[in-house]
Amino acid sequence: MRDLHLPLNQTQRVRLEAALHELQSLAPAAASAASVTVADNIPVNQEDNILKGHGTSDHDGEVVATLCGVVERVNKLVYVRTLRARYKPEVGDIIVGRVIEIAPKRWRLEINFSQDAVLMLSSMNLPDGIQRRRTAVDELNMRSIFEENDVVCAEVRGFQHDGSLHLQARSQKYGKLQRGQLLTVPAYLVKRRKQHFHHLEQYDVDLILGCNGFVWVGQHVLVRENTESKEDKQKLSDEVDTFTPIETRKHICRLANAVRVLSALGFTLTIELIIQTAEASLSSNVEINDMLGAEFYVQTAEREARRRADLLRKKNGAR
Amino acid sequence: MVGLSEGEKHFIRGGIAQDLRADGRTRLQFRPVIVETGVIPQANGSARVRLGATEVIASVKAELGKPTVLHPDKGKVSIYVDCSPTAAPIFEGRGSEDLSAELSVALQRCLLGGKSGAGAAIDLSSLIVLEGKACWDLYVDGLVVSSDGNLVDALAAAIKVALSDTGIPKVNVSLNAETDGEPEVDVSDEEFLQFDTSSVPVIVTLTKVGKHYIVDATSEEESQMSSALSVSVNRRGQICGLTKRGGTGLDPTIIFDMISVAKHVSQRFISLLDSEIAAAEVVADE
Repeated sequence: MRDLHLPLNQTQRVRLEAALHELQSLAPAAASAASVTVADNIPVNQEDNILKGHGTSDHDGEVVATLCGVVERVNKLVYVRTLRARYKPEVGDIIVGRVIEIAPKRWRLEINFSQDAVLMLSSMNLPDGIQRRRTAVDELNMRSIFEENDVVCAEVRGFQHDGSLHLQARSQKYGKLQRGQLLTVPAYLVKRRKQHFHHLEQYDVDLILGCNGFVWVGQHVLVRENTESKEDKQKLSDEVDTFTPIETRKHICRLANAVRVLSALGFTLTIELIIQTAEASLSSNVEINDMLGAEFYVQTAEREARRRADLLRKKNGAR
Repeated sequence: MVGLSEGEKHFIRGGIAQDLRADGRTRLQFRPVIVETGVIPQANGSARVRLGATEVIASVKAELGKPTVLHPDKGKVSIYVDCSPTAAPIFEGRGSEDLSAELSVALQRCLLGGKSGAGAAIDLSSLIVLEGKACWDLYVDGLVVSSDGNLVDALAAAIKVALSDTGIPKVNVSLNAETDGEPEVDVSDEEFLQFDTSSVPVIVTLTKVGKHYIVDATSEEESQMSSALSVSVNRRGQICGLTKRGGTGLDPTIIFDMISVAKHVSQRFISLLDSEIAAAEVVADE
């Protein structure tokens, strides 16, 4: 497995290989049939004239893949969806990004897309919460809303005709993220779901799984109608009293390490799996730091293999 | 390196103050160390060391040379570090020169000892082949492949491992009158001599953030540092070198405090490295 450098001892290596092998054997056969590497033939019915999409090419009358990934078919269109590529936004996605530039009436955000995303001043709620025209004064005060390097959560609004990406943040749940850590995982590990914001009440932690593979783990903040940004600034300056409580911080670190382990093993990140992994580390008395050690990786892989096997058995039993 | 927002910086500083850093480590814990030996077949000795996302490679090459007039009984060692553009875009072109020079100087100071050769990691007189005529020149090169903080410690560890992996060819010297006293050196390519690397020190960098100091800082944590002190300590707990980075000054009492902490941490780090080296050698032999 790529990117996985672990100081495994002999038994751990055998156990990890066994677990990964089992995971592979559990995967449905259709999934492995649809995955292609470069120069693989893509079987198509030549009679219905198909459209060759991204990542495909014509070679001696056969359709071959020019990328590694999964073959997707939409009506006549056949294309290859690449794994480990940059994030490909879709309208309505919830993303986490980092402000890199403030331009007239807009912020530019880095979101792991091939271009920078644009968040217009007019497509976000002002701190005072009143709907009105944006004035020149608002434009001058843009830095009081987001500064450079701020981590921001927003929604994909749509593409302009020139291909650039526009975002919007028209709700209280969107906006600046503070007091926590940002993790980057490959974008394909986060699947589009109904819910991307998760308030884990038992831990007092907010977890945001951005569709672009940016994951935010931070202290829970109350959504207020009027955010008192000025007061926040003041609080940051007299530091020591305002540090995240140690209990919450432990939970943040534990969840963040769970995300790190799962993404390194290449498991799709779902909120249930993250919580399960964190809880498993708690119940087996693994220190937060030791979650990144070899033993916990092996345990996590084994647990996931068991879980998927159970799931498959239940499915077959129900049938 | 990506910038951090005010909220994230605050979170990092808070974590260090509360002794629980972003990845769950305490202030004096290292990230997992992964060691590989023999990664460059052309070199006499080489090693790759990974500390979290930091990855460095060190190689040792030995060449026959002439000792200097001032020290006819000693060999020569030079240390040079390069930063690969794969580690960060800013290292492209001449961008890495400053950092490379800084790292090279820090390592030279910590590993080569004083002018007299006292406190050096490698006993220079063991490199001599024939006094005044021939000696081994050791070229120690470090390469930063990927950078996530704490480069000095990783490089020093890689050099230590590479030296323990190094085999110097055995030489037979024959003096004959025909060549005017110039020695004839016959380098064996089968027999190799191992170094005594037990006295090679490790470097422990203590990064000061706020009122506290931490070991093995990630690059996010380094962005919050006021200053950093690199202490090189050998197996017997002796200080072999000291370098300070960062703009802010340090109080002498704090420096002494940091040194004693570094001594304590280094002993754990040395024994950890020793076991990793032993494990890596077993893998290399297989």
